[in-house]
Amino acid sequence: MINVAYEIAEEKIFCSGHHACPGCNAALAFRYIVNTLGKDTIAVVPPSCGAIISGPQPLSSMRIPVYQTTLEASAASAAGIKRALKTQGKDHVHVVAIAGDGGTYDIGFQSLSSAAERNEDIIYICLDNEGYMNTGAQKSSSTPYLAYTTSTPGGKPTAKKNVAEIMAAHRIPYMATATTGYLDDLANKVRKAKDIRGMRFIVILIPCLDGWGVADHEGAKISRLAVQTGVFPLYEVEYGTKYTLNYGSQGIPVAAYINRQKRYRHLSPEQIDEIQQVVDADWENFKAKFTT
Amino acid sequence: MTRMLLNGNHAAAHGVRLAHPKVVPVYPITPQTPILEKISEFQLQGIMDADLMTMESEHSAMAACITASLTGVRVFTATASQGLMLMHEMLHYASGAQTPIVMCNVNRTIGSPWGFWPDQTDSLAQRDTGWIQYYCESAQESLDTVLQAYWVAEKVLLPAMVMHEAFYVSHALEIVDIPSQEIADAYLPPFNPPHRLDPEIGASWGNVVDQDMFNRHRETLGNSMEAAVEAALEADKLWKKLTGRGYGVIETYRCEGAELIIATTGSMAGTVREAVDQMRDHGVAVGLLKVKLFRPFPVDLVRRTLDGVPKVMVLDRNFAPGTGGFLHHELKAALYGLQNGPVIHGYLAGVGGTNVPPVKITGLAQEALEEEPTVLSVWKG
Amino acid sequence: MQVSTKKNPPVWTTGWTDILNTGTWRSAVPEHQNRPSPCQAACPLGGEIAVWLQQAREGRYQAAWLTLAVNNPFPSVTGRVCHHPCEGSCNRGEYDGAVTINALEQFIADLALQEGWTLPSPADGRDIRVAVIGGGPAGLSCAYQLRMRGADVTVFEAHPELGGVLRYGIPGYRLPKEIVAREIQRLLATGIKIQTNTIISEQNLAELEKDYSAICIATGAPKAKLPPQFSGDDPGVLNGLQFLLDVNRDHIPSLGQHVLVIGGGSVAMDVARTARRLGKQVQVLALEDRQSLPAQVEEVREALEEGIVLLDGAMVQEKVKQNNRFKLTCNKVVLDSAAPAGVLKPIVKPGTEFQLVTDTVIVAVGQDPELAGFSASLPVKNDLLEIDDNQATGRAGIFACGDVASTERYVSMAIGGGKRAARSIEAFCRGRSSADDGGAVGTEPVPCQEINTFYFPMTPRKEKETIDPELRRQDFREVKLAFSAADARIQAERCFSCGHCLQCDNCYYYCPDLAIVKDSMPEPSYSILDQYCKGCGLCVEECPRGAIMLKEVKR
Repeated sequence: MINVAYEIAEEKIFCSGHHACPGCNAALAFRYIVNTLGKDTIAVVPPSCGAIISGPQPLSSMRIPVYQTTLEASAASAAGIKRALKTQGKDHVHVVAIAGDGGTYDIGFQSLSSAAERNEDIIYICLDNEGYMNTGAQKSSSTPYLAYTTSTPGGKPTAKKNVAEIMAAHRIPYMATATTGYLDDLANKVRKAKDIRGMRFIVILIPCLDGWGVADHEGAKISRLAVQTGVFPLYEVEYGTKYTLNYGSQGIPVAAYINRQKRYRHLSPEQIDEIQQVVDADWENFKAKFTT
Repeated sequence: MTRMLLNGNHAAAHGVRLAHPKVVPVYPITPQTPILEKISEFQLQGIMDADLMTMESEHSAMAACITASLTGVRVFTATASQGLMLMHEMLHYASGAQTPIVMCNVNRTIGSPWGFWPDQTDSLAQRDTGWIQYYCESAQESLDTVLQAYWVAEKVLLPAMVMHEAFYVSHALEIVDIPSQEIADAYLPPFNPPHRLDPEIGASWGNVVDQDMFNRHRETLGNSMEAAVEAALEADKLWKKLTGRGYGVIETYRCEGAELIIATTGSMAGTVREAVDQMRDHGVAVGLLKVKLFRPFPVDLVRRTLDGVPKVMVLDRNFAPGTGGFLHHELKAALYGLQNGPVIHGYLAGVGGTNVPPVKITGLAQEALEEEPTVLSVWKG
Repeated sequence: MQVSTKKNPPVWTTGWTDILNTGTWRSAVPEHQNRPSPCQAACPLGGEIAVWLQQAREGRYQAAWLTLAVNNPFPSVTGRVCHHPCEGSCNRGEYDGAVTINALEQFIADLALQEGWTLPSPADGRDIRVAVIGGGPAGLSCAYQLRMRGADVTVFEAHPELGGVLRYGIPGYRLPKEIVAREIQRLLATGIKIQTNTIISEQNLAELEKDYSAICIATGAPKAKLPPQFSGDDPGVLNGLQFLLDVNRDHIPSLGQHVLVIGGGSVAMDVARTARRLGKQVQVLALEDRQSLPAQVEEVREALEEGIVLLDGAMVQEKVKQNNRFKLTCNKVVLDSAAPAGVLKPIVKPGTEFQLVTDTVIVAVGQDPELAGFSASLPVKNDLLEIDDNQATGRAGIFACGDVASTERYVSMAIGGGKRAARSIEAFCRGRSSADDGGAVGTEPVPCQEINTFYFPMTPRKEKETIDPELRRQDFREVKLAFSAADARIQAERCFSCGHCLQCDNCYYYCPDLAIVKDSMPEPSYSILDQYCKGCGLCVEECPRGAIMLKEVKR
């Protein structure tokens, strides 16, 4: 019976009443992250949309302790909590940092890389909406090539940093990419991470409705197109060597993805072609990692 | 109690050992590195049960201190100069979070240009970050002050930094009495804060507050800082009872009937002591006012001490453009409106680590006795 | 803004956001709604296709059959002969091929016969007595619906057996007579009275009006049209309807070796393929070109596979009889596109003359109702009994359905017409009609844009298997084989269930605000939490089947 697409076990940690935009996919991700990790969890959230989603003081949208840190320090802060918990004999409590791409790829990168090198026993999840969306859509090093942001109004001249591969190269126990359009895959990856010790990193592609220029109800659909066009494959890497592909390119032209986003509205057909070629070449190279 | 020949850094490390911090994020920088190295040794030897976190920067070290403390365990770190500068954002964050972190900062010149010389500007420039600040003149004092700092910090719930100067104290050997663990345990109760990050409690910390809440929170911090003077006096009294050693929050030396009191902080106090003895021997009525607790500035005590004193000469081994010497600055503010207060000479002596021997101090004292004071600090090499 | 009069609170949080009302943000709110699937909208008898397909998916075949039976007492028949407009409108057709609704109907219906399932008991009553004239699919459908509503029904049938075109028209290789008999037998077990071998004329009508509360005329269209060249008596020219009637009564008429069938509709195909099975060389001559033939595409294809030759877009100009054979002069034609609807106006294409020689000509160019018995007392228009939208004739208490009143000559149309007539009769007699359709009325069917195909992996559609043409034309065995149980299971899975919620929980999972909750009483369903829903519409987008819609909120 193909009635049911998703069967996801959830604890009741995430609350309604938070102030995310209607249709926000980051809020959706938060729901499954904390509802999967459960009540024995402490979360770390830096300045980001996540800070808004966490709830206006004195209320919290999560029934677990949430610590708001500075933008550079998510990984370091999370590590400090976990180390303290261990000394208190509370090693069963999970510590998860949920940061944006600004706080992961840019200003937070140093502390993230170091935490990975030390194999800190934390889960680090990047909600990647490809820009500093909370402050009004400025460019981050996660913004893709040619996308409009307020600080790159002519289109970003450089490519998106590949943080997934960088983190894989740190040889941490678990690295994964995920997105909201594949909800069970997302929840499964969080669940898998929950049971592993050592540094776990998940980067989740989050279409930002306002920042990307996408309709309120289309977030999940856009994220699927990112996967199906080969722009954002869903995969896992264990210890930097074992690669597993979950959902890869289905050969859908990248225009199908690009044309639904206002941040690419200014692109010429030649530029779209260029992007297609890059995506195709990247996919060819990337596929090679999965032949076993 | 053990008696050992130790430099200031190692003495401080012993103080930390006795305090049982559970998490110690570390990052090396000259000239504090031996503190953390010694702690690493203690840990490896099994005589210290601390989780050392080898962070990639001081900023991250402080970030981890804050969260570990907020989770409810005692923490420690050490830094100097550039490292302290890099931590600046997190220093504010730490006091805002009311985390009773204790940190040793070895006073060293700040770039640019580079230098490794004793100069207190690095920590003094952090006087507004909401941290309690102690300035120590000896290895023994550093060890003792680390424990006092934990006592006070955990009482008022503000972080505290303990300073001693590069090389003069950090690397110079002296005989140090190391108290027993029993004494330290009798002194410092275990740290068990009621507000902490704990799934059993469930409360969260740090999100955006409204203006009203922010205003009240700042007032809370202000009140905590004010309460720290009393707490520091109490801490010192208790320590004296247990070990026989007390320092007060300020110390006066041979100030009875003094025409001129020389005010200073840190290792300079030791040199001034010598100079005072020499001058007293020649019949010059001078005394020493050593300010140990710089933040909160013990305003009442200082006012009472200097009430009716004709002259004060401040020796500042520190300087900020536009501010001048920091102690000079604080004293002028503290003594404002004192009817019979002294005239103040603010001398910049030793900025950048230049040598200030007793003969120089006696010379400066002579000048101070003879000349009219100026409002702004004066460069005296 | 709070006024500060209290003691400084700690800056730790003190509660959860679920006390906040974010429902005030929205300008639209989702609503789960049972909407018609396009297949149901296209079905001439209004079958609740999505519902019985879901029941089949769950393995609840008897429940599925009962759902079918609400609107259709002959699903084994329609599962074989229906022209399945449902499949033509199926949203899955845009994706990877329409759902095989017709074959699945057949599977379920045949299972019902196999298991001997009986129709539900009729309602009590017998307060109204209704006469149905004509025992074909329209008349029997009307009788069935009335009987289920508790009426006392008598069916008058001219022939010895009930069934009309089902029994006497459609050949056995498309519709085995045994199937027809068993479904009719099951129907009669509900207590419908019958009088066979009875022809009702004008006079009888007046008597019936006295004895019965209402009358439904469903006498079909048994009168064959004859083109001018082929009217009159010639033993070599047969009327297609008569031919099929005779064969279905096992009176095989004598035919020459070469048979020409004139006509392009289903009847022409039936005639041609029957003649072929009698061992003849058969050609079919039709005015319309192949793409426009009124016969179903499959019928034409199967006929050609069986070795029948199609001469499309042609007409006979001249007929000459020589040595007991017909010599026909024909021309290729195009049909005038400017002709009014329903009128075929052929235009001869110059220089396309050709000759045909044949022994027997069977004409199947259309049929009309036999109105001689009624035209005095009932309004007639365009050679049909005239009816309004409620199947009522001009005369109070007299209704009509099926081929006698409509030119839409499909079995399913007849069944649908019979159902509508029954409803109207009930309303006429009792003052009100009981509801029967499942409530999914009055709204537009779900368009294919509202189907989220991400949730449906491509699965190919499977056609019914056909027997090898060489084998099948040797006798009247069924040409198309029913699905196996395994195939039925797989093919039933392909239904999107447009507009009918299947409790898949996608809406529940996709809400970032947890504003959709699952209820279990009185039966599994969903509620939208007024306090939290921001009206983003993610639930609507992620619903695979358009069972939830956004409604504008007016403030």
